[in-house]
Amino acid sequence: MPYWYYDKKDLQNTPSFRDGINNDTENRYRKEGARFIIDTGSKMDLGYNTVATGVVYFHRFYMFHSFRTFPRYITACCCLFLAGKVEETPKKCKDIIKVAKSLLNEEKFNTFGEDPKEEVMTLERILLQTIKFDLQVEHPYSYLLKYAKCLKGDKTKLQKMVQMAWTFVNDSLCTTLCLQWEPEVIAVALMFLAGKLSKFEVVDWNGRAPKHNAWWDMFVEDITMELLEDICHQVLDLYSIQTQPSGGESPPLPPAPKPPKNEKKPPVTPPISASPAAPAKTPVKNGAEFYPYAPPPVAYTAPPPRLPPPPRLPMGLVYDAPPARFVASVPPPPLVPPPFLRARSPASSPPILSAAVIAIHCSDCVKVFSLCELRVTKPGRSQSFY
Amino acid sequence: MSTDSSTIQSPASAASISNVNALFQNAKKYEELNVIGTGAYGTVYKARDLHNDGHIVAMKKVKVALTEDGIPLSTVREIALLRQLEAYRHPNIVRLLDVCHGGQPMDRDQQLVLFLVFEHVEQDLDSFLKRAPGPLSENRIRCMSHDILSGIDFLHSHRIVHRDLKPHNLLVTSAGRVKLADFGLAKTYDTEMKLTSVVVTLWYRPPEVLLGASYNTAVDVWSCGCVLAELHTRAPLLPASSDSEQLHAIFRLIGRPPRYEWPDSVSIMRDSFPDYPPKDLAYVIPNAHPHALDLIKRMLVFDPAKRLTALDCLEHPYFTDEPIS
Repeated sequence: MPYWYYDKKDLQNTPSFRDGINNDTENRYRKEGARFIIDTGSKMDLGYNTVATGVVYFHRFYMFHSFRTFPRYITACCCLFLAGKVEETPKKCKDIIKVAKSLLNEEKFNTFGEDPKEEVMTLERILLQTIKFDLQVEHPYSYLLKYAKCLKGDKTKLQKMVQMAWTFVNDSLCTTLCLQWEPEVIAVALMFLAGKLSKFEVVDWNGRAPKHNAWWDMFVEDITMELLEDICHQVLDLYSIQTQPSGGESPPLPPAPKPPKNEKKPPVTPPISASPAAPAKTPVKNGAEFYPYAPPPVAYTAPPPRLPPPPRLPMGLVYDAPPARFVASVPPPPLVPPPFLRARSPASSPPILSAAVIAIHCSDCVKVFSLCELRVTKPGRSQSFY
Repeated sequence: MSTDSSTIQSPASAASISNVNALFQNAKKYEELNVIGTGAYGTVYKARDLHNDGHIVAMKKVKVALTEDGIPLSTVREIALLRQLEAYRHPNIVRLLDVCHGGQPMDRDQQLVLFLVFEHVEQDLDSFLKRAPGPLSENRIRCMSHDILSGIDFLHSHRIVHRDLKPHNLLVTSAGRVKLADFGLAKTYDTEMKLTSVVVTLWYRPPEVLLGASYNTAVDVWSCGCVLAELHTRAPLLPASSDSEQLHAIFRLIGRPPRYEWPDSVSIMRDSFPDYPPKDLAYVIPNAHPHALDLIKRMLVFDPAKRLTALDCLEHPYFTDEPIS
């Protein structure tokens, strides 16, 4: 049976790296590809499992092939296409391509070649062979919910924590964590992070035994603080400075690509926009105020404007380099929130802010900020945040 | 420099994608040796795993008709499930070592050749029984029966119906253990079957399939009942050569079912069969342990809902009265 986990050395010495693409650039490609799968999937109403499966295929694929050989956006389409079949939420290839076209600029879409559908069909066979037909993939989501059921404590706080962890899991798809750790471990780590940031300390849980030091000891053995910290930092890194690749090293696409529209500035059209100063409350465009996890204010019964031909929703938090300044922009809504959260949202659930943004709203911005800072300056991970 | 890279890349990447065959030829991993068997669904080869010290494997070639949207969803689902099952490494299920395909569809005929690579097991139960010098010991029979039922129960617990259990699909290892093979591609086969006209054996088919009624996991229990009888007698229990003859053979053994058990939705009339009385299994399977006879009788029940499940069978006194050695 194929084994899909790699250590950090393998993750640096990838086919792309051997092909002359530096690690930072590759990581950016991975992030962009993953984000594109998430955006395309969300736009097509595909569930979170399908999207996550597609992203995992994508990351695995590039452990065997170079981004120079296979341009990332068409591979991403193919991964989502195959994931749709595997998760029994099939979408027609031509429809995926249509959505892809609407999300990409012309230059990027040109990498799909003259007959995009035929290219995806061919790529499907390459993808299947590359991932060795190992199609069933597990994700942290189900573990997240399973673990949450066992935790005791204030229900509202627990829900907040799970929601935040859920968003972290979404964002973690843009990292290579799924190539490093089993979904159980990622679920534990990101719940731990969400717990820290939402100030929900788990002191008791169902099934607690004397030998357990922490709740996760019940589910996964030998999780060290060092490991948890490492995983959390990998996700938090997403919210820190994006390194711009140097010109010549951007093979599949023209070098130093302009960021996709909206990536660096708050989008104009979505209902919620955040000012760069990241205020304690995010103003809603129509003037009402929206508290992400509190029961929606009464005034908020009117459905938020439907995201019009949606602009690409950027990452949760983007550092504006070089004057390290926080830019809280509107993150993508979670692919699908856990059921209980869903039930609480108004009919046309308003977009839910990403965990990191919530952290700010929980007046934890200093904490997140310092975490990112910590990662940016890399003073060493001994500077623990707990 | 930057302009260079942008002009070079597009053609380079396009070329590499269209040249899939080259990509796969480098990865030739198996050398076909000889044909082990040809079934309705494809051919099984004995092959050498060139990446693994020439280890002998069984390689099954299945042709899949491509659709407008590439590989059919059912095939993708079934392979995904087979791969997932493999993680359990069940002792009574043949190991699936690898799955690969032949690259570009041949001649643009929109077919893709899939290769499922299994562990190679020297013989199947059919040849094992034919080669057996005399009757199998009671213990041996019980042990093999338990293996088969454990395998079936495992498949059923993963919502897989084998649908074609027969001695030919049951592999016997050198240690005398039985492993189930040739399951999990039912839908893929179905679409392929329309294109072939290979005769499949009817001897292990349950009445609901022969009658064209709906069926479920109980079909495998029926087939297994026939196999368990065969382990005792080393001859098929219900050999017949047509659907109709097969039904007659079944009713001659278990009796014509009562009117209220006859399925509503079938076109074959109950009255077209004589009122056969049930036979005593003890005469049909001489020298069998009474528990074995009771178990087989409860597996060969006309109404699928009244048939034991595989799990029920494993909890039958035949297996629980004495420990399996």
